[in-house]
Amino acid sequence: MAEKRNLVKDTSDQYVAIRDHVAEKYPEQRWRYEAIANYYERVSKAKQRGEELAWVNFATIPEVFWAMDVIPISMDGMSGMAASSPEGASEYIDLAEEHIPDYICATNKISMGAVMAGAMPVPDMLVHPSAPCDSALTAYPLMAEHFGIPYFCIDVPYFRDERCYQYLTGELRRLISFLEERTKRKLDIDKLKQVMEYSNRAHEYKQKVNQLMQAVPCPIRSIDIILDFNAVTCLAGTPELVDYLETRYEITKDKVSKKQGHLAQENFRLLWVYAMPVFDWSLYSWLEHEYGAISISALNVFDVNPTEDISDTDKILRGMAEKVTAVPMLRECGGPWEYYINRLLGLCRDYKADAAVFGGHIGCKHTWAIAKLIKDRLYDELGIPTLTIEMDVFDPRVASLDTVKAKLDDFFELILRK
Amino acid sequence: MKMKALEELADLSNTVFNPAMKSWKEKGNQVVGFFCSYVPEEILYAADILPYRVRPTGCAETTSADVYLSHVNCTYVRSCLQFALEGRYKFLDGLVFCNSCDHVRRLYDLWRETTDHPPFTYLIQVPHMSSAEAVAFYRDDIANFKENVEKSYGVQITEDSLNNAIKVYNETRSLLRKLYELRRGESPPLTGAESLKVVLAGTAAPKDQYNQLLKRLLAELGERRGISDYRARLMIVGSLYDDPAHTQIIEDLGGLVVTDTLCFGSRYFWEPVENGHDSLLSLAKSYLNRPSCARMTDALVERGDFVGEMAEKFKVDGVVFQRIRYCDLWGGELFYLRGRLRELGIPLLSLEREYALGGAGQLRTRVQAFLERIGG
Repeated sequence: MAEKRNLVKDTSDQYVAIRDHVAEKYPEQRWRYEAIANYYERVSKAKQRGEELAWVNFATIPEVFWAMDVIPISMDGMSGMAASSPEGASEYIDLAEEHIPDYICATNKISMGAVMAGAMPVPDMLVHPSAPCDSALTAYPLMAEHFGIPYFCIDVPYFRDERCYQYLTGELRRLISFLEERTKRKLDIDKLKQVMEYSNRAHEYKQKVNQLMQAVPCPIRSIDIILDFNAVTCLAGTPELVDYLETRYEITKDKVSKKQGHLAQENFRLLWVYAMPVFDWSLYSWLEHEYGAISISALNVFDVNPTEDISDTDKILRGMAEKVTAVPMLRECGGPWEYYINRLLGLCRDYKADAAVFGGHIGCKHTWAIAKLIKDRLYDELGIPTLTIEMDVFDPRVASLDTVKAKLDDFFELILRK
Repeated sequence: MKMKALEELADLSNTVFNPAMKSWKEKGNQVVGFFCSYVPEEILYAADILPYRVRPTGCAETTSADVYLSHVNCTYVRSCLQFALEGRYKFLDGLVFCNSCDHVRRLYDLWRETTDHPPFTYLIQVPHMSSAEAVAFYRDDIANFKENVEKSYGVQITEDSLNNAIKVYNETRSLLRKLYELRRGESPPLTGAESLKVVLAGTAAPKDQYNQLLKRLLAELGERRGISDYRARLMIVGSLYDDPAHTQIIEDLGGLVVTDTLCFGSRYFWEPVENGHDSLLSLAKSYLNRPSCARMTDALVERGDFVGEMAEKFKVDGVVFQRIRYCDLWGGELFYLRGRLRELGIPLLSLEREYALGGAGQLRTRVQAFLERIGG
């Protein structure tokens, strides 16, 4: 009988192994994996150390948790790592599907299945926002109830306006009360301010990096989009993220000033207008080497304005409220489609995209509903062709790496023919 | 010969543009379509507008809608868009959506982008919980909605007219509860399919006229012979369900649907609006606190409680949980509900279906097996 997996430890081991390998072979690149590997190491030892873990989804801002000395762990990040591991995550998907429909998002199925299989520990609490999807909206309260975990939902309005931010400020206040009750600790305002300082500095660097990523040729690797996303999702509000993004910024700036791109020959500048598959990261280097296609940006690129005034709790929470709605995907997909398409049009223009890929994650009904609108608008307004791929970000059984590659082969052939 | 009330009500339920709406429009009045039971119809009623809950009744294929929507989008929404693209809702003078679920909120986008939609195409933001903060937010949102209705239709909605609307709607709720009470007995005077038609009629007819029909119906049912030759008393639970023909198949096999926890059923009318000094606040409190849809994230246990209470009150022998495929909200809910019903010792039949009735043979087989399992 196969040994029971421990996904938290496996993820930690995966990152630590990558970090140590890189440190040995390419010491100048160690920074790429240092912060995230240290974070997962901390997560894997949290229970031993008596630290509290909050399971959150990718759209939950981590700053409040860091300020409360609770470690936030993105269940979607864990799902992604499990999916990209040699063993994959299909056993957890299958297990979850014994209880919930097959069409629930795979990330939720992996989390649920992994806990059922004893491959993930039951956390101290579960927190998620009510947007951007029904799948999380149904999965989180179910998991909380089934496993007896304290649960909190940040309710996010549909439209982004002052009323939304005021309401969200209240929601964050409620979240703090929830955390205070669970941890039996009061929020330390000085700690919150410090966390926000780190968060602001990190996001300032991220925005500067984003500017640099617009350069032709593109100075970063395609895979860096995913690495940055994972880092910001987990570490916003920590000094480790500041260091990571500062290094990213300095290196990228240097490359841009020397007009160095990641690829010697950049044939296609691809924009991922929805999900990027994570079950096999080799896809991105294949695109680079096979077609000279660099992924210049994606929907999941953080572009968050720093909170200007962090002089008191009210102002910080007001700033955080805007940040809640600026998290990738929640930003585009949690409201009317105009939020989505306007963002995409801006990205395509700013990053000088010449082709788009709609990674149609099968679990995301809300984006599939407007896939054609998006494709038509990108073409009509900017002349940018979009490849639509039906796939699952986490589960290669829906569309394997070979299937995805075959679709891309056809797409490039078509573009080249034109 | 005067039609029986039940026949008149059935007539109102089985077409998109029914005789009551036609007659309403002929008098120069307006009809506004809405998509979810969380839209406070009272506000439209108070503006002398007929609220009509949009249903793609009889939609058999979705070829045009499928150009835009994917196979992972629910067939209710695909059918609605199909009818919109075919111009079947041209009689509507406005549309009100809410962020009910991922499918419906995207229908709001698609309707605006792909159809010749009415100028008043509005979305109400419904919170996903019923906290005091959520009630206050929703109250503000429906206040904005009221202002927009006033501006768009050149009407004034006074506190008096709102109070009157709440009164009329509460009368509807009370009459429908009386109707459901009749179904608690050993020999209910009407079938589940008939009852569904009655509720559906109420979402597509002026409430005053509807209330009169309900009163007539209640009187007529008093003289009707009860149904006693059934094999099992059933309750229908789950996502949007507005197809009496589906219920009919279940009942033809000997199951008698005696109650439900549906948004086209008991959840629509079970609790009255407790009207206070601020009618909008009363509406907000009531709509967010009544027996809820699976979209409400803080009421999972309460929904289970409600199913349990209804099962006990109506002495049901089994629950039919149905959901339209790709409905995440109700799809997930089953996981919890299965456990609750097991604890209560109530057998469960889970059916996944599409909006248009299909696979009748398979449905019959499953229901037949279920009835045998529960000893009916």
